[in-house]
Amino acid sequence: MNSATRPRNRRSIWLRFSIGLLLGLLALMPPGAMRLLADQSDRTHQLGSKLKCMCNGCDQAAGKCYHVGGAYSGPCDTAKTMLKEIDTHIAAGMNDQQVLNAMIQQYGPLAYVEPPKTGFGLVAWLMPISYLLAGLALVILVMKRWRKRPVAVPAMPGAGGVQVSPEMLARARQQAQRETEE
Amino acid sequence: MDVFGSFALILAFVCAVYAFVGGIVAIITRHPLLIKSARQAGIAVCALIFTATLSLVYLFFTDNYSVAYVVSHSNRDLSTFFKVAALWSGQEGSLLFWSFLLAIYVISVLLTYRNKNGELMPYVGVILAGVQLFFLTISNFVASPFKALGVANAAGGFDLVARADGNGLNPVLQYPEMVIHPPNLYSGYTGFTIPFAFALAALLARYPGEKWIHLTRKWTMIAWCFQTMGILLGAHWAYAVLGWGGYWGWDPVENASLLPWLTGTAFLHSVMMQEKRGMMKVWNVWLVFVTFMLCILGTLLTRSGVVSSVHAFAQSSIGNWFVGFLCIVMGVCLAAYFKNKDYLKSENQLDSLASRESSFLFNNLVLLVACVAVLSGTLFPVFSEWFTGSRISVGAPFFNKVNIPLGLLLMFLTGVGPLLAWRKTSTDSMKRNFRGPVSAALVGCVLLFIFGVREMFSLICFTLCIFVAATIVQEFYRGARVVKVRSGASWLASCVDLTLRNTRRYGGYIVHLGMVMIFIGLAGQAFNKEVEKELPIGSTINIGKYELLLQSMDRKQEKNYVADRMIVEVMKDKKPVMMLYPERRNFPTNQESGTMVAIYSTLKEDLYLVYAGMNPQTNLPTVHAFINPLVKWVWWGGMVVVMGTIVALVPNRAAVVVLARTEVPSGARELSGMRPAQVTLREGHD
Repeated sequence: MNSATRPRNRRSIWLRFSIGLLLGLLALMPPGAMRLLADQSDRTHQLGSKLKCMCNGCDQAAGKCYHVGGAYSGPCDTAKTMLKEIDTHIAAGMNDQQVLNAMIQQYGPLAYVEPPKTGFGLVAWLMPISYLLAGLALVILVMKRWRKRPVAVPAMPGAGGVQVSPEMLARARQQAQRETEE
Repeated sequence: MDVFGSFALILAFVCAVYAFVGGIVAIITRHPLLIKSARQAGIAVCALIFTATLSLVYLFFTDNYSVAYVVSHSNRDLSTFFKVAALWSGQEGSLLFWSFLLAIYVISVLLTYRNKNGELMPYVGVILAGVQLFFLTISNFVASPFKALGVANAAGGFDLVARADGNGLNPVLQYPEMVIHPPNLYSGYTGFTIPFAFALAALLARYPGEKWIHLTRKWTMIAWCFQTMGILLGAHWAYAVLGWGGYWGWDPVENASLLPWLTGTAFLHSVMMQEKRGMMKVWNVWLVFVTFMLCILGTLLTRSGVVSSVHAFAQSSIGNWFVGFLCIVMGVCLAAYFKNKDYLKSENQLDSLASRESSFLFNNLVLLVACVAVLSGTLFPVFSEWFTGSRISVGAPFFNKVNIPLGLLLMFLTGVGPLLAWRKTSTDSMKRNFRGPVSAALVGCVLLFIFGVREMFSLICFTLCIFVAATIVQEFYRGARVVKVRSGASWLASCVDLTLRNTRRYGGYIVHLGMVMIFIGLAGQAFNKEVEKELPIGSTINIGKYELLLQSMDRKQEKNYVADRMIVEVMKDKKPVMMLYPERRNFPTNQESGTMVAIYSTLKEDLYLVYAGMNPQTNLPTVHAFINPLVKWVWWGGMVVVMGTIVALVPNRAAVVVLARTEVPSGARELSGMRPAQVTLREGHD
């Protein structure tokens, strides 16, 4: 093995090791680890946390209502009623989506804690993605334009030596100083 | 005193009109005396606003219940400390307080630069007077804090009356943090007016040179520092008082405070591209404009009732005024830009993708996307009502899902940026710079995984935090090593010396370190635990490694409220650790109640106890206990961020040597071009 190929091999081993390590970690991850928030132990509370408390006072999820300013720091009467209704739907054998649909039918779309991924609610989810894509396109466009911009060509050396004006020299010095400070 | 305050306010309005109109005439005529008188009028406006504000504070202190605002927000039993906070607890008072803080900034600017930047300052004075004029219009004619209390009489008029006592201050505001959180946040909001004024003035005046961008950056940092403190103090207040176990709920008012912070952060990064390379001038000017407009928009959201919020002030038509002002500001900014856009031409090109410049571009992209996403999410209920006729709520889960990936991307760029050089980074340099931080991050990731961190976003966040921290340590190490070799001082002394020689750069790294700590705290949320239980006296509950024993209950009679307390002994491994006293406060004046959370806080986790109240059915006290890991990192991180910003604001200790062009013999000039023997000293700006 010659000295020119050794660093490349070393780099390739390092790269493979890093990728393998990351893929291994992802593969080892249990499916539940993909969720951001810890699981609620109680199904009712879990469903309640996907619905807004409709008391018009706390702006919290029914399953997490703490009701600031109330006589009791916990679910207010409205949240309790909503949680009971969820219990009733669960007892009737509904699955999670059916329970949520029934609650939305009863309280209207305002009861969603997060917009639904259907109908107009989908727009809310698409907006951030579209901003990111549009911003990325803009950055790429700006970068391309910057890179195409003509560069000032220094004066060609003539018979009398380098023809650089004192102003240009001063500007160049200032620029060099500024750009090497940090 | 109410008449006195009212008179001061109307006089301030008249002076602001003069400062604004007279200032415009002075700019057109360039008459020195007129310029001076417009500036003096600006100073008089500030003095009169101070007078009006102090008058209102005096009315609170003297329990003057003939003024409607005092009646609504104070009572005789309210402590003097909270009577100060009552000043900004309602719509009218908070708007006057806004003018007060703005006046502090304005008078500082007018006095500091009274003999400097002669071409720029008249424009700055006019813009500041214009903003003050708007707020004074509101305080004088729309929402006056000095309105007398009156009752309708038979003749169709009003009779002035005075009440014996007031309605009292909202209980959730009766906490020490509420006395410091709003002033900080408002100082942030109002502070962004100054960079706005400098940027707009420079554009209007086509002010030559780079001085204005340095001034804009400095004042943005001051406002940004206050905004950061305000946001974090608000979060801490929510955590320690509201009793829901969290500190950030993505409420519209919280979001409104975050928006200018995000664009301000973007500006503080992209401004370096203008200072160093003469690039991004248009972008920077618009970032400053947008930051100011977002401050006004935030105020509009808080006060108009456009979006529902637990923080919002009473609904009123005041929003229309803010919409009008926002339109005027936008119109002026657009007109100034289109008239003078050639003034903002970029001086340089992008040399390479692997450069500091491109990392700043992506940093700005992520910050702006986060800002627009938070703004559109906050306003989405309004949009959905326009388009579908019914409101669709957008709550915390949406904002978390959108912003967590963006936050992680930002953390990644925070680590990458300092490792890239300006203009172009060679492959060798990249390898040298990245090796250490990437290795540390990978090792940290594996260790965290082995020790049981399996939540994907938290694991990524912790890994990125290690990467950024390692980057910062490496930067300090490299710089301090050079200082140490030269001076022979200790590592710590070398680090301090290094920081003081280039405060802006190393202050910035300290800010980054603070952000790392905040992100560690945020990532800890994935491991929160909670339990709620009715607890008879003498019984225990377990949460995490803690066993909580309710020893007894007691009642405390304070001047303005009655507190019911739980006396809870905290044990760990059967050994007593400490006593906690979560309480509920009942305020008889306004028949409201609130919680006072008890927290046992360590770097590892917070044990957070809330006395939820008596269950009316069982008549048993209910305790709500939480284990919130790593929360303390958020508060400490916030302190580090503020400390770093202050360091970055301090001028460099040592002067920077700058080579000066000297006259040399013609023959020598051809050989050397310049001679480094003669040097001048100037203070480095970063």
